[in-house]
Amino acid sequence: MKKLTKDDLQAIKQEELKKETANWIKVGLSTCGIAAGAQDIYDFLVEEVKKRNLGVSIQRCGCAGMCYAEPLIEVKVEGMPKVFYGKVNKETAMKIVEKHIGGKILVNDHIYDIRSSQ
Amino acid sequence: MQQKRILIKDTDLKKDRTRDFYTAFLTEIQDKKLEEKVQLVRVSDIGIYGKGLTVRVLPENFLYCDVETGDISRIVSESVVEGRPIEALLHKPDDKQLRLVLRNCGLVDPESIDDYIKHDGYQAIATILEKMTPEKVIEEMKISELRGRGGAGFPTWLKWKLTRAVEADQKYVICNGDEGDPGAYMDRSVLEGDPHSVIEGMMIAAYVIGATKGFFYIRAEYPLAIERVNRAVTQAHEYGLLGENILGSSFKLDIEIRLGAGAFVCGEETALISSVEGKRGYPRPRPPYPSVKGLWGKPTVINNVETLANIPLIMLKGGKWFSSIGTEKSKGSKVFALTGKVKNSGLIEVPMGTTLKEIVFEIGGGGIAGKKVKAVQTGGPSGGVIPEDFINAPVGYESLQKLGSIMGSGGMIVMNEDDCMVDIAKFYLRFCVDESCGKCAPCRIGGTQLLHLLEKISEGKGEIEDLDRLRRISRAMQKAALCGLGQTAPNPVLSTLRYFEDEYKAHIVEKKCPAGRCAGLFHFSIIEEKCKRCGLCFRNCPVQAVSGNRDQGYLIFEEKCINCGRCFEVCKFEAVSRG
Ligand SMILES: Cc1cc2nc3c(=O)[nH]c(=O)nc-3n(C[C@H](O)[C@H](O)[C@H](O)COP(=O)(O)O)c2cc1C
Ligand code: SF4
Repeated sequence: MKKLTKDDLQAIKQEELKKETANWIKVGLSTCGIAAGAQDIYDFLVEEVKKRNLGVSIQRCGCAGMCYAEPLIEVKVEGMPKVFYGKVNKETAMKIVEKHIGGKILVNDHIYDIRSSQ
Repeated sequence: MQQKRILIKDTDLKKDRTRDFYTAFLTEIQDKKLEEKVQLVRVSDIGIYGKGLTVRVLPENFLYCDVETGDISRIVSESVVEGRPIEALLHKPDDKQLRLVLRNCGLVDPESIDDYIKHDGYQAIATILEKMTPEKVIEEMKISELRGRGGAGFPTWLKWKLTRAVEADQKYVICNGDEGDPGAYMDRSVLEGDPHSVIEGMMIAAYVIGATKGFFYIRAEYPLAIERVNRAVTQAHEYGLLGENILGSSFKLDIEIRLGAGAFVCGEETALISSVEGKRGYPRPRPPYPSVKGLWGKPTVINNVETLANIPLIMLKGGKWFSSIGTEKSKGSKVFALTGKVKNSGLIEVPMGTTLKEIVFEIGGGGIAGKKVKAVQTGGPSGGVIPEDFINAPVGYESLQKLGSIMGSGGMIVMNEDDCMVDIAKFYLRFCVDESCGKCAPCRIGGTQLLHLLEKISEGKGEIEDLDRLRRISRAMQKAALCGLGQTAPNPVLSTLRYFEDEYKAHIVEKKCPAGRCAGLFHFSIIEEKCKRCGLCFRNCPVQAVSGNRDQGYLIFEEKCINCGRCFEVCKFEAVSRG
């Protein structure tokens, strides 16, 4: 790999920005999340999205701070508000896939609506 | 009509009636035949606490608090159907958090350098290498007034300037990721969630002081942090962001990782240095400071993880921007690991100057199970407790010190009536005694003596003179111990004595532990007048120490009781006394 220059940094940034997708899910995979089972949720979502061909990119991220609500995932799909779902087990993850992504309906009792003022 | 959404949550601290309100809203929606156009959602947490029924209407984003059943019809017809806000109910959310250090945590993929670059990663170092001299960077850091986040709060610019001024053939920069304070995990989260920002901070420090070699010192108990930092360092090397001729300049830097075995004292800078050198982690007297004689005798800058993570942002946005945040003497933000008897435990970041009350109640959602908060512990084993009377204290280096605690690295533990202050002091002291390296007598002997006294008191064998003994030994340790561990170990003792002397006296004079922690100093009994004879204690006692029946009432047999406190917890009428 060649050494980067300042221009290359810009080029990578632009390239990455272009790759941005309209539909994504971020799964918090730090120690707090993993301890609560986030890795299983990540794997489950990757699998489901592929199986159903949903066109949602499943991404990994660090701890968003709400450790009490892990596993915590952030979901953005077109036509829906961006939300955090907390204490997500497989059953809830399935609901998110079917209802939130499939039916464009928010899932009850798992939304952590705490940073929407930003 | 566009798809509307109504998010609801009852934020009452005692009783959550979200489901009742849900039914009321649903009826209203059905009456108005809006089922197709409006979606009603129960949320788990709406980020507001103790303000009754809270409702958010989307997409307009109207936020209403203290909503009554009578308001529901108006909300649906005016706000949802017509899209107009109801001024009287409107609540302006003010976000208490400010995520600077945690800017990328939860946002970027910590295993992808490209994702970090996408979020302006390595822009700061690129700009610096292109057009800033080290002096200019120091100048900017001075304007920012950033102080070290590892505990002592030393001005970062000054540490850098002093190290830069020393002539040497080799210099080093070390990132202190030891994080030994029990209950704290801020640094772990940053290393796991955004390792590249710490690397970039180290690069800037190295460039300024003229170091060509850097070390991460991370405790071995943090395997994921180590893995992510390792990967990040490898990626940076592959991109030529580490190594020789970085970004086409003459600047070079290599970074390696060293694992700590998890000794608290190894977080102390001189002990850490000897640990990196492969020796036993013993502190040594300062001066000479590491800035003059550090790793292998060479000038060395040691900075904390959080300090370093701040740096790229300061260089991108300017020192002036940074110093506009916070208080007069404490600038920027601080990350805290909020834990203990608080509703929402987690990692939070607030501007300096935010009060403990705002942190505990507005971010943390208040005491667990609606219980009254008794004190907040900050600074871990080197800190102290701040009683509820001072909960309006703003967060900052000096402000917390004035109250007998310290800001420390960022542990913040909320305590309530179930926490015994003698027990807390004992816990932290035992930690320090276990972790003392034993090199100097004040800490080795003083700490053990303090612990003996506390044990004596918690067993009900204390005498009133012991309080003075505790104070005397504490003061001697503060003055005479060699390193920060021994100097600060008495802080939890002194601060609990300062604010909760009554509790110590209860143990000594009345032989009672009001919080029901110190075995043998409390017992449970049923207050006949308050008892409704529901039988909950009877059914819940795991050892059948409660006897009686619904007609005659109940009694607790002390001989059988194991002091587990189950009856105390389950009684709905406060009819079980502990004392
Ligand atoms: C007993 C003891 C433990 C310490 N543990 C840590 C630690 O875990 N992490 C840390 O950054 N600093 C720790 N420090 C403070 C360091 O000695 C040093 O001041 C700090 O790393 C400097 O970085 P800063 O200026 O960026 O805060 C500790 C100090 C003492 C006395
Ligand atoms: S104060 Fe304690 S930890 Fe520090 S050098 Fe002395 S014995 Fe060791």
